[in-house]
Amino acid sequence: MIEIRNLSLWYRRGHKVVDDVSTVFPNGRTIVICGPSGSGKSSFLRCINGLERFQEGEVLIDGKSLRARETDIHQVRARIGMVFQHFELYPHMTVLDNITLAPRKVLKQSAKDAVDRAMQLLTRVGIPENAAKFPGELSGGQQQRVAIARSLAMEPQAMLFDEPTSALDPEMIKEVLEVMIDLAGRGMTMVVVTHEMGFAREVADEVIFMDHGRFLERKSSTDFFERPDHPRTREFLSRILR
Amino acid sequence: MFHYDFDWSVLWRHPYGAMFAKGVWTTVSLSLVAWGIALALGLMVALCRVMPCRPARILGGAYVEALRNIPLLVQLFFWYFAAPALLPKAIERWLYANVRDLPYYLAILALGTYTAARVAEALRSGLLAVPPGQLRAAFSTGLSQTGTYWHVIVPYAFRIVVPLLSTEFLTCFKNSSLAMTVGVMEATGTASYIDSFTFHGLETTTAASLVYLATSASVILLMTWIEKKLHIPGMIVRRD
Ligand SMILES: Nc1ncnc2c1ncn2[C@@H]1O[C@H](COP(=O)(O)OP(=O)(O)OP(=O)(O)O)[C@@H](O)[C@H]1O
Ligand SMILES: [Mg+2]
Repeated sequence: MIEIRNLSLWYRRGHKVVDDVSTVFPNGRTIVICGPSGSGKSSFLRCINGLERFQEGEVLIDGKSLRARETDIHQVRARIGMVFQHFELYPHMTVLDNITLAPRKVLKQSAKDAVDRAMQLLTRVGIPENAAKFPGELSGGQQQRVAIARSLAMEPQAMLFDEPTSALDPEMIKEVLEVMIDLAGRGMTMVVVTHEMGFAREVADEVIFMDHGRFLERKSSTDFFERPDHPRTREFLSRILR
Repeated sequence: MFHYDFDWSVLWRHPYGAMFAKGVWTTVSLSLVAWGIALALGLMVALCRVMPCRPARILGGAYVEALRNIPLLVQLFFWYFAAPALLPKAIERWLYANVRDLPYYLAILALGTYTAARVAEALRSGLLAVPPGQLRAAFSTGLSQTGTYWHVIVPYAFRIVVPLLSTEFLTCFKNSSLAMTVGVMEATGTASYIDSFTFHGLETTTAASLVYLATSASVILLMTWIEKKLHIPGMIVRRD
């Protein structure tokens, strides 16, 4: 379980990008966060696995604070996967090396174990034939699926997605969403920043609306779309759903 | 009227042939060892310059600015005339008594540390060109700072700056000729030395020039090969 207590983050003094957010992400749930550009969604996500140094509040993973002296931040990150808008595969490594790097170096898996596991994951995301290729030789959709496989190779307890489909052509969005739907079905804890409202409606357990660094609204996905309370949410939804 | 009796045999006849071969070898070994130092030290300095730690950045910056802006000739003289004197007297005396090729080693240090500053600048531009998302991606898989730089950031940066490094490598070769000013008998020094006995400087300097052209050509071939090897598929290809 991921628990956030009074989290605030700023890059410049006086301008809180994440503003006093408290929330809980229970195990096995898929939570979607949406909101206008610049509302702090990416920054918030990066706080959860300690990629961003927040100034106030606490992030607790299974009750352990990220900032506690005895917490090894690398160990925490190893247990939380993250998928990025622009994939961020390592372009100078093959697909297989991209996936096996962290398992070998962080989990100290043998090369053989890591490769076996990587091939399983590549099969699961539907592209086992691309193992020896370089990221630059793949389509965007394929790259994003490799990136998901790279995260899954660490056997994470939760996955963070930061607009995983917004850099993709429409025909590739589906193949990535399918992988995510499969993951959700397997009970993975997922926090997904996305503007794919179809995904939010069908797959998410809850949807959060974020604006100016705050969580303005959090509802079950049905209620979020049928009965949004906040005028800003309604306005946002009307713009995005047309 | 221009009258000059060419005698190319000064390049191979005894004892000049062996001298010249040794000179060429000195140029090659001096440049290569200096280049090795430059790469290793340059990488460390470049890393210092992109670290979040401020003192490291300042130290790295100071190194680059000092070494890059003092003429190499002055630095050579520093290493040759001043550096040994800065050591304790006993060590200095021991050095002069026991290290036969002291100027050679001092020239390597001078050329290596100077070239390191230039390599550091090239590598820094490469490190800064690596998208910040790569750092986040590597960190997000639990890799440590060292692991992230060693496996992801540095190899990526290297590939970006291979063409820049080729240029520095060539410059390092050519700069090695300055070592003759502190008495190292490398190719240029040997050429002028043979001239002082035979008055056939035209042949010897021509030969020295050809040596530099040949080594440069090999370096270019080597670097082109390395560039191809390290090319990242899907990135812009250099065609020539
Ligand atoms: N590393 C950074 N340094 C300084 N300012 C930043 C940094 N990252 C984000 N910001 C600023 O913080 C604010 C929130 O950015 P963030 O990327 O978290 O928003 P977002 O909701 O993810 O937006 P988008 O939908 O465009 O991705 C923006 O004003 C942005 O300019
Ligand atoms: Mg964002």
